[in-house]
Amino acid sequence: MADIELVELTKHYRQGKTVVRALDGVSLRIGSGEFVSVVGRSGSGKTTLLDLVGLLLRPTSGKVLVDGQDTTRLKDGQRADLRGQRIGFIFQEYNLLPTLNVLENVLLPLRYTKSTVQDDRGRALELIEAVGLGDRIKHRPDELSGGQQQRVAIARALINRPALVLGDEPTGGVDTQTSQELVGLMRWLNREENVSFVIVTHDLELAGQADRMIRLKDGQVLTDEPVEHAA
Amino acid sequence: MEIIRNLARRKLRSTLTVLGIVIGIFALTTMGAMAAHFNALLDGGVKYFGSSIQIGPPDGQASILPMSKVDELKRVDGVDAAFPGYGFAAKPGEAATISFGIPDTIVSHDPAEDRYAAIKTTYAQGHDLTATSRGEVVLGSSIANELKKNVGDSIDLPVRPKDAKPDFVNHTFTVVGVLDPTRTAPDNLASISILDAQMLFKESLPVAIRDTIDTTTVAQSIVVFGKPGTSLAELDRIAGRINQQVNGVKATKPSDLVNSFKAGGATFTAITTAAAVLALVIGGLSVVNTMIMAVTERFREIGLKKAVGAHTGHILREYLLEATLIGFLGGAIGYALGVGLTNLLNLAGKSSNLELFLITPTLTVIALGFAVALGALAGVIPAFRAARLDPVTALRTTN
Repeated sequence: MADIELVELTKHYRQGKTVVRALDGVSLRIGSGEFVSVVGRSGSGKTTLLDLVGLLLRPTSGKVLVDGQDTTRLKDGQRADLRGQRIGFIFQEYNLLPTLNVLENVLLPLRYTKSTVQDDRGRALELIEAVGLGDRIKHRPDELSGGQQQRVAIARALINRPALVLGDEPTGGVDTQTSQELVGLMRWLNREENVSFVIVTHDLELAGQADRMIRLKDGQVLTDEPVEHAA
Repeated sequence: MEIIRNLARRKLRSTLTVLGIVIGIFALTTMGAMAAHFNALLDGGVKYFGSSIQIGPPDGQASILPMSKVDELKRVDGVDAAFPGYGFAAKPGEAATISFGIPDTIVSHDPAEDRYAAIKTTYAQGHDLTATSRGEVVLGSSIANELKKNVGDSIDLPVRPKDAKPDFVNHTFTVVGVLDPTRTAPDNLASISILDAQMLFKESLPVAIRDTIDTTTVAQSIVVFGKPGTSLAELDRIAGRINQQVNGVKATKPSDLVNSFKAGGATFTAITTAAAVLALVIGGLSVVNTMIMAVTERFREIGLKKAVGAHTGHILREYLLEATLIGFLGGAIGYALGVGLTNLLNLAGKSSNLELFLITPTLTVIALGFAVALGALAGVIPAFRAARLDPVTALRTTN
């Protein structure tokens, strides 16, 4: 199971003559099965943090450890393999492939990664059923609503039994009710699949449903505390 | 599967791109088929003239050689055999047009010559002439087809022109053999015995001198052979010796004839190459353009694929495959159209002996291989662009 550790992580960009400190010495640990939300204003470094944890970006300095393994030393291909096997992604824009149907979209990550799943198709159908789209497996994305597309994306993120799912504003493109349903679904899958979720969001209501909330400001951790849930 | 669906996403654009390749490969196929036809024809010339020495009269003299020269030639060092030759238009009076092939010709044939023939002929029907046969003819495949004759049929040769003068003479021959196609000279030849040829030769002479010449003592030309397998250089040397030792004849160096045939072949090869370059430019550029547009449109998809574990190599392969598929589709359609058209034209030209195209296995491989290679090559730059995209940038592109 996932144990993600960020050690003194920095990411600096050069913008003309100035250096932008998108992330500035962040150290965190995300334990197995946690549901963490990351909040902060635009430019606070949320997305950069997500990209670094998702191994899509290389840090300027510091380390990202996955299960104790320092990923900053890995080659691009090894990072891609690790992404494929251990990390799932959910984006605000869903990013489904328009030419593939629901089932094919869910199966997409397995095309590039050595599958650790026994029965690919069975697993995909099970997930599609779990996200409530069992009757839509042959539908193309343009035949689905935004909420349904995001459900497909959630199923896709889980197909390879990842240790960690990263969500970049996963409810940013849907209405409030759909947003609630999606959060409920993610929380349920978080428990059912025992997979960690790290969700970057502007939506404080969503953030408030996490186990733990991290506030970022100017590339640094402002607060990092458990969320109190009403009984 | 996804690749095919991707092509279907922009139907008009994909169709136009495929059409670019179709036109190029269609041109390549038809021009190539024409070049293949001429090269086969010229190859026959190279083979025939590269294995024999043509003897004619000295420059400026009429084409009549005393038969005694045959024996004189046989005595020249290196000469193994010499045969008198006669040739006549099979269809006299036919309008002299620029022909894309060899005109139908009646030629004399001595069965002993077969031993030396560089172009081996086989019989679709019937058999060869005998040395003493009279009134018999062996037809090449094209002339047999054109005149609609089979073994056992009678044929009047030369064919009487529509506006024949009252004194036009021809003779009835029985077809004893029809040759398999060779794609070169023998296809258009009607072979008769030397004795019959001498009779036709006599009748072809002007009335004023016809009775003063015994045509059994003269030939129009003589063909000389070395031992089978004699090299071209050696034949050239024999031709030189003939010119030195035998008066009243002129031997043409076989290499001169071979070179002139090869020069002709080079011209057609240049035409094919030009068609290929045209295909490369038109088709290739349109594939590059289409693929660059496809990559640009699919930045986010590429980013997503990389996020879920695709390596640079995976993306490269997918886009190369897509470009190759465009090339293959265009190639297959263009080739099919080219084969269809050339077959139709050949069929239409068959009765008038105007078959211009030859689809060879080599041409098939070249046309399809070229299309696929072109697609793949045109896909290289766009595929690299796609594969090297930074996933973070690609994922956040707004189209």
